[in-house]
Order: sequence, then C-alpha cells, then structure tokens
Amino acid sequence: MAVRCPGDAGERAWVDGLRRGEAAAFDAVFAGYRRRLYGYLVRMTRRRDVAEDLLQETFLRLAQHAGKLDRETRLGAWLFTVAHRLVVSWARAQAVRSQLAGDLPAREVAHDARSPLEALADSQAQLALERAFAALAPAYREVALLVGVEGMQPAEVAQILGHKPDAIRQRLARARTQLAEALGEYAPASWRMP
Amino acid sequence: MTQDDDAATLAELGRELPGIDLDASSAARIARRARQGVGRGPSLVRFVEPAIAGVFAASYLAWAIARVLEALR
Repeated sequence: MAVRCPGDAGERAWVDGLRRGEAAAFDAVFAGYRRRLYGYLVRMTRRRDVAEDLLQETFLRLAQHAGKLDRETRLGAWLFTVAHRLVVSWARAQAVRSQLAGDLPAREVAHDARSPLEALADSQAQLALERAFAALAPAYREVALLVGVEGMQPAEVAQILGHKPDAIRQRLARARTQLAEALGEYAPASWRMP
Repeated sequence: MTQDDDAATLAELGRELPGIDLDASSAARIARRARQGVGRGPSLVRFVEPAIAGVFAASYLAWAIARVLEALR
C-alpha cells in the first residue's frame, strides 16, 4: 500500500481541509482510502466494474458532503458506511434483475475456472483463502472483511452496518466457523477441530 | 476461543489476502471527477426528478379531489 491512513491528528486535518473545500485534502483522503475501499467493494460485489462504479459514487458523495462534515467525523467509518449502503442498494437491484430474468438459462461457468480476483492469488493457500471468503454469505463476508482485512473493532463495524454489536459478534463467530471449514488444512491451527 | 482471539486470527488471515487495486488511469479518472464536486454540494439535477414527481402527484391529487367533489354535488 503506497499511502497509509494517518493517525487521529492527520485525519482531523483531512476533515478540516475537506470542510474548507480543499482539493488537496480530498486527494489525500482518496489516496489513503481508495485501495481499502476498492478491495472491500470488489470482494463484496465480486465484480471489478461494479466496484469501480461504487468507489466513484462513494467519493462523489464525500465530495458533495465535504462542507457539511462534522469536525469529529471519522473518515474511515464514514466512507465504509457509504460504501456499505451502496453495496446493499446494488445487491437489491441485482436481486430484482435476477428475479426478472428468472426464466433465462444461467450462464455456464467452468467449475475450476479462476475468477479475476482468484487469479491474484500467488499460492494455493492464498487461493484457498480467497475462495473461503468468497464462499461466505454476504452478511458474514462483510463482517469478516471489515474486522479481518480492515482491522475494525466489532463495535465500529456495528456502527457502519447499522446493527447491534451483539449481532456483529454473532456474525463474526459464524464467519469464523465457515472460514475454518472452507479452509480445511489451511485454517489457522487454533481454528482446527481437535 | 474469545471474540478478540477470533478477530486477531481473522486479521492474520486478512493480511494473507492478495492486495487489490485499481489501475492508475481509472483511479485518476475517479479522483478527477469526484474532486470537481468538493465543496459544491449535491447537484441540482438530483432534485429535478423528485420535484417533477411531486408536482405530478399533487396535480393528480387535486384532480381526483375535484372529481370526487363534483360527484358529490
């Protein structure tokens, strides 16, 4: 990752810059969060083209709301909340489209074909991991990504997803169980059954 | 195993996932487009459709009420 997100003081400076309408502050936020958000969006939608569109919409909304941001805004939580809502809207639209196209034959996909995402894996373990995350139900995958990849606390994830922390902890436990099963020999030792 | 242990192990797993990034030209295009809107607020175009729908709904309601009143006379 080329640019790391700053600490609280740096993030406050970004928020202040955004509130003043400074393009430089926007560029800094974009550089700091673009890769994280894009990774989350690709793994949630499993489509790079859709992830690009949703990433653009996320940053368009940031630009539009820049002047109204609260000084205490936590940009990571704000951006992931917007991205989450966009993913939910997209998934709903997809579900409606699937229902409308219910009579059409499903597109055949070779069973052992690698998705573009899986093609990034450079070892069997990485491939197994990517597939294990992809196999999770979206609600569990989202929590696993936000906690596992983004390093967020369950309470923060609860705020982003608009659920109670207990529900997030439950999803986290289920995600862990499903990941352990899917990973098999690649699962962390502490997750394997005795 | 506690929730914290789960989160820590998940974080270890997460670090193993391959990184995903946009190509540079797409990133530049998205940044350029979004940057133009900094400090401008939502586009007025966003309000046009709801406004038209509102006017249409209000007109239809007024027409329907007029018809009911006419029938009651």
